[in-house]
Amino acid sequence: MTREEIFKKVIEIVRPYVKSQEALDSVNDDTNILEDLKVNSARLVDIILNFEDEFDIEVEDEDADAVNTVGDAVNLIQQKIT
Amino acid sequence: MSGLSFKARIALAIQREAGRVSSVLWITSIVFAMRFLMRYRVKNASILRKRFRAMMRDNDKPLLICANHLTMIDSAVVAWALGGSWWYIFHYSRMPWNLPEYTNYASLWPSRIGAWLTKCIPVRRGGKRQDVYGAIDRVQHLLSRGETTLVFPESGRSRTGRVQFDSIAHGVGRILNSVRDCRALCVYVRGDRQKTWSTLPARGDSFYVDFEIFKPESEHSGLRRSKDLAEQIVAHLAHMEQKYFARR
Repeated sequence: MTREEIFKKVIEIVRPYVKSQEALDSVNDDTNILEDLKVNSARLVDIILNFEDEFDIEVEDEDADAVNTVGDAVNLIQQKIT
Repeated sequence: MSGLSFKARIALAIQREAGRVSSVLWITSIVFAMRFLMRYRVKNASILRKRFRAMMRDNDKPLLICANHLTMIDSAVVAWALGGSWWYIFHYSRMPWNLPEYTNYASLWPSRIGAWLTKCIPVRRGGKRQDVYGAIDRVQHLLSRGETTLVFPESGRSRTGRVQFDSIAHGVGRILNSVRDCRALCVYVRGDRQKTWSTLPARGDSFYVDFEIFKPESEHSGLRRSKDLAEQIVAHLAHMEQKYFARR
C-alpha cells in the first residue's frame, strides 16, 4: 500500500470526528488532528483504534502518544504494516 | 521502572515535601472551609473512614482512586470523606494527588502555588499529547512509589448529572495497565442537593460517598486494552450510581 493510499484512508477514518470540515479541504501531512481539525481528544483514541481495524495493526499506548498530525498517523501506519 | 526524567522526579519529590511540611496548614484549612464555612457533611463519615483506613492498613499496593465528577471540588470532598483531616497528616502518601485542568486555576499565582502545595499535577485537556502523557508518566511514577492518585475517568464534570460514557479518559486504563499491582478504588460521591453539574456543591449539602475496589480485566492489548479498562471503570461507577438512586 502506498503512502498516498494510506493518507486517503486516514482522512476517511478521521472525517466523521472532524468538527472543522473546512480544515479537511486543505488537509496535508502537517495538519494537526486536535488543533486544526478540532477533533475531541477522547475521540483521538477511537480514531487510532479505527486505524487498527482498517489496517490490521496493533498500536501501543506509546505509539499513540506520537500521533499529533495526519502525517504522524500515516507514518505510524506505514511503519506498522511494513 | 519509571520512565520519568531525573529532573521531573526531583521536581515531584520537592513538591511532595513542600506539601507535606505545610500539610497541617492546608489540610486543616480546606477541611475547615468545607465543614464550617460551606457546612458540608459526609453521611456515615466515621463508618466510611474506618472502612477506608482498614483497607489501607491491610493492603499497601498502589491505589488509583477513580471518582465520578460533578463539581469543581470533588477531589477535596472525596479525600476528606475517605480520610478525614488528621489521618492524612500522619499518612501523607495517602493524600491523593490530583490532575486538575490547568486553565481552571492558572490565572492567579496564589492559586498556582496552592495547587502545587496540594499535590496537583496540571493537565491541559485537549492539549499536546506529549504534555498529557507527561502527566500520566508522573502519575505512574507516583503510584509505583506508594502514593495515591485521584482521577476522574469521565474526563470532565458530567453535563447530564449522571455518569457519562461519551468522553472517557483512556489514560485511566493506561495507568492501571502499566503500574504493577495497581488497584482501582471506584468512588461514587454525590450531594443530596446535587441535581446536575456545578462549580460548587450547594452550601449545607450532605454527601453520600461509597467506594469499592474494582479490578478490571481485558483480553485485549495495547491501546485497545487501555480503553477497555477505562470503560469498565466508568461502567462500574455507573453501577454504583444505580445503587445510589435505588437507595433514595
